[in-house]
Amino acid sequence: MPENRPEDDLVVVNHLRKSYGTTVAVEDVSLTVRAGEIFGILGPNGAGKTTTVESIAGLRTPDAGTVRVAGLDPRKRRTEITSLVGVQLQASELPERIKAHEALELYASFYPNPADPAELLERLGLTKVRNTAFAKLSGGQKQRLSIALALVGNPKIAILDELTTGLDPQARRGTWELVKQIRDSGVTIILVTHFMEEAEYLCDRLAIIDAGRVVALDTPAGLVEAASSGQRITFRVAGELDDAILKGLPAVTSVHHDGDRVVVTGNDDLLVAVVTELAGRGLAPVDLHTEQTTLDDAFLALAGRNFEGAER
Amino acid sequence: MSQTLTLTRIETKLFVREWSGLFFVFALPLGLLTIFSLLGNDGSDGIPVSFLPTMAIGIGVGILGLASLPMILAGYREKGVLRRMSTTPVRPVKLLIAQLLLHVAAAVAVILLILFVGKVAFGAALPGSPLMFTLAALLYCVSQLSIGLLIAGLVSTAKGASVVGNILFFPSMFFAGVWTPGDVMPESLRWLRDITPMGAGMSSMQDAWAGNWPGTVHLVAMVAVTAACLALAARYFRWE
Repeated sequence: MPENRPEDDLVVVNHLRKSYGTTVAVEDVSLTVRAGEIFGILGPNGAGKTTTVESIAGLRTPDAGTVRVAGLDPRKRRTEITSLVGVQLQASELPERIKAHEALELYASFYPNPADPAELLERLGLTKVRNTAFAKLSGGQKQRLSIALALVGNPKIAILDELTTGLDPQARRGTWELVKQIRDSGVTIILVTHFMEEAEYLCDRLAIIDAGRVVALDTPAGLVEAASSGQRITFRVAGELDDAILKGLPAVTSVHHDGDRVVVTGNDDLLVAVVTELAGRGLAPVDLHTEQTTLDDAFLALAGRNFEGAER
Repeated sequence: MSQTLTLTRIETKLFVREWSGLFFVFALPLGLLTIFSLLGNDGSDGIPVSFLPTMAIGIGVGILGLASLPMILAGYREKGVLRRMSTTPVRPVKLLIAQLLLHVAAAVAVILLILFVGKVAFGAALPGSPLMFTLAALLYCVSQLSIGLLIAGLVSTAKGASVVGNILFFPSMFFAGVWTPGDVMPESLRWLRDITPMGAGMSSMQDAWAGNWPGTVHLVAMVAVTAACLALAARYFRWE
């Protein structure tokens, strides 16, 4: 992770709030995107992710709070912002009969310093389908064309919203590699997703948004670490075991029962301490598991509920 | 400028690829001309011989303005095509100009087709005053298309645009005297024929056909409709 200097902060969102009628889409979101990173915005459907990035792109006027992109107000400086930020939004199609190369040529004409459409088609693996109508492209090809359109203006920042939703696993992997290449070519990426795996694989840093608020903002590894309450082991035991014996061990922080299983949490010495204590009393733990914290656990710990359960 | 040209070029290609739309725009006026030419019109009942070709033109251009143009643009809004464009530096007015240009071109093609087929197939006379006819016809095209732009600015789905277009189209034809040509139309309603765009367009083209200056009322009515609709469309047209 490069050292964070203020001039690296390409996007600064401060206490953003936005509602549609009586529905509050974004309650209070603050985040900072640094130049050169893939910044993830992760959360369940309806969490306010899209409204947040639409505000960054200048498509929505915030009710409160500020958004700055390269120091500019995206709502007021449309000309600069639209050249600076390439956007791939959900539910924005193209005319059915437009051919892939025509779409790129058209969008290239909108920008002051566009990329070469033919080169971009090649880079995104669309050269073979350059003469294919939009309606006849596969899901993955449509998404790649969509990325190409977001990049054709040579933007500094690319916003990619739910890029891989609806793609098969292979196309998804391919798209991920593409996103990494784009980042490596110097474009800062804001990636909106509700796939844990995608966020974990791609993002340098990510904000977890739930019910219109940022519940955490860190690297994927940092989030996992913050959420993990040390070690956790579960096991069954044949014979009588007094919880107080385990609770008395310095390494143990909690003991509870889940059916016939004993669940013990504690510090890094937990496993050795528990097994030694049980052995000393002639008890053998059966079916013993140690558990790793994942980004799913992080979400659970931070949002107070299961990620899937939060899906609306 | 190059944005408008590129938009016009590519939108024209898309327009030409849409066969079902082309059928109504070109085949319907041509069919009407053919059927009624075969039935014959001797100029009695105060119905001028130019009624038939101007009616065919009136309906063809009417479809372009009240159906084709608003449905394309409202469809773009519905599918998020406009939303995607709104993330780029291009201004909405350029898309409007591109659509206007290509629909004017299509309207000119309809007019030439009707004139050509009328002359060649049915031996119909050509307009007595070509200059006046050009003026009247262009003014009619622009006024009809500006109504289409206004619909596209106010309606958010292709279906909505088609409903509004139809609601306007059938009364337009009625007030233009399509079913009650010439003296057949009750005198109390003729003032509507003079000032509704389709009526004013057809009447002024008929005047030019006879070699006369089109009536001032017709021309003023069409200019007024065009100015009002363009101003409102530019004011209300939004990407979303």
